[in-house]
Amino acid sequence: MSSPKKALLLVGSPRGRDSSSEALGGYLLNRLKEHGMETGKVYIHPSMLTERGQAEMLQAIDRSDLLILAFPLYVDSLPAPVIAALETIAEHRRTKVRKEQKLVAITNSGFPEASQMDTALAICRRFASETKIGWAGGLAIGGGEALHGRSLAEAGWMARNPRKALDMAATALAEDRPVPKETVDIAAKPLIPRWMYVFVANRWFKNEAKKNGAQDKLYDRPYQA
Amino acid sequence: MESETYMKALILNGSRKGDRFLDAASDVLSHTLKGAGYEVDPLILRDLKIASCKGCFDCWVKTPGVCSTDDEGRLVPMKMMQSDLMIYLTPIIIGGFSSELKKGLDRITGALLPFLTNVNGEIHHPFRYKKYPKILGIGILPQPDEEAERIFRTLVNRNALNIHDKGHSTVVYRNDSHERVAEKIKALLAEAGAAK
Ligand SMILES: Cc1cc2nc3c(=O)[nH]c(=O)nc-3n(C[C@H](O)[C@H](O)[C@H](O)COP(=O)(O)O)c2cc1C
Repeated sequence: MSSPKKALLLVGSPRGRDSSSEALGGYLLNRLKEHGMETGKVYIHPSMLTERGQAEMLQAIDRSDLLILAFPLYVDSLPAPVIAALETIAEHRRTKVRKEQKLVAITNSGFPEASQMDTALAICRRFASETKIGWAGGLAIGGGEALHGRSLAEAGWMARNPRKALDMAATALAEDRPVPKETVDIAAKPLIPRWMYVFVANRWFKNEAKKNGAQDKLYDRPYQA
Repeated sequence: MESETYMKALILNGSRKGDRFLDAASDVLSHTLKGAGYEVDPLILRDLKIASCKGCFDCWVKTPGVCSTDDEGRLVPMKMMQSDLMIYLTPIIIGGFSSELKKGLDRITGALLPFLTNVNGEIHHPFRYKKYPKILGIGILPQPDEEAERIFRTLVNRNALNIHDKGHSTVVYRNDSHERVAEKIKALLAEAGAAK
C-alpha cells in the first residue's frame, strides 16, 4: 500500500493565524485530511526571517506532494516575503531534482472583485512552470477581508461559497486532479453584495479610527510636498 | 509634461546584489532623466532597512498616512509624494517585481485613503493627496519572454490604476547595448508624456 500523500499549507499573510489566508487555506487542509492526506503548515513571514526558518520551510516543502500557497493580495501582487520565499524555493529547486509535486494557490483581497487577483495568480502559475511543479489551479476570494480573522465555519452564511469551492477543490486534489473551472467560479462569487461590502468597510474604517482617537487625522497628508 | 520647472524622478531600484547589468541600466536611466531636466533620486531598496508590512492598517486608522513601523520603509511613500515620476527598475522575477522592490511597494498603502470607492467600474481607494507621480516600470529579462513581459506590464498598469492612472512600461534585455537601453528609456518617457 502506498503511504498517504502529504499536503503542506504555506500561509503567506503577516497576520498569521488571524488571517483570512489561514482561514481559507486551513479549511482546505482540514478537508484534505478527511480525504486521507497527511497535512502540515508553515508560516512564510516568520520562516523567511532566519536561515534556519528558511531551511525548515524548504525541508517541509521537499517532503510534500501538494503545496497550498495562501496569501493576501498586496499591491496587486504577492506580499514581499512571499515573493522572497518563491525566489528561495526556485533557487533551491535549481540545484536538486524533486519528486513530482503540485501547487494550488488561494488568494484573497480587500477589493471585492476576484478579477483584481488575476495577475497575482498568473505569477503563481508562472512559478509552478519555472520550478517544474504541476499547476493544480488558483482560487481568488474577492473581499476576503470580510472574514476578519474568523474561520470559515465561524463566518457562517457569508462564507458559504468559499466553503463550497474548497470542498470541491479538496475532492479534486485528493484524486490528483486540478481544481475544476466551476470551482474557481464559485470561489470568485462575492461574499456579500458589493454595495454592502463597500458600506460596511467604509463604516469599519471610520469606527476603527475613532477607537484609536484618530478620526480627525483620517485625511492627513503627512508627506504633502 | 513641462520640464522647464525642476521635476523630480524617484527611482525605486529593486536590483539584487552584484547585478552589474542593472547597475549600468540605472546609470543610463539617471543620465537620460537628467538630460530631460529631472532631478533624480535613486533609491536602492536592498541597501535600506525595510521591514515587511505587518498588515495592521495602522497607516489608515491609527497614524493616518504614516506606517507604524519606524524604519527606512517610511522613505518610500514620503519620496513618492515628493516626485513627479516614480520609476520601478527591477529584474523581472517570475513575471513580477523582485522581492526587494516589492518590500518597498508594500509600505506605500498609507498614501491612499482607506475607503473604498468605484473607479471606472472597479473598487479602489480614494486619494489622500491631490497629486500622485506617474508610475513607470522598467523590467529586465535575460531574453524576450512573452508571458513574463505580459505579466510585468499588466502589473505596472494595475499599480497605476490604484492611483487612477495609466501605467507605462518597457522591457530591457540583458544583451541590449547601452544605446539600445537609452533608446528604450527615452521611448518610455515619451510614451508617458514625461520627455523634454
Ligand atoms: C500593504 C497592503 C497592500 C494591499 N493591496 C491590496 C490590493 O492591491 N488590492 C486589494 O484588493 N487588496 C489589497 N490589500 C488588502 C488585503 O488583500 C486584504 O486585507 C486581505 O483580506 C488580507 O488577507 P489576510 O488576512 O490573509 O492577510 C492590501 C493590504 C495591505 C496591508
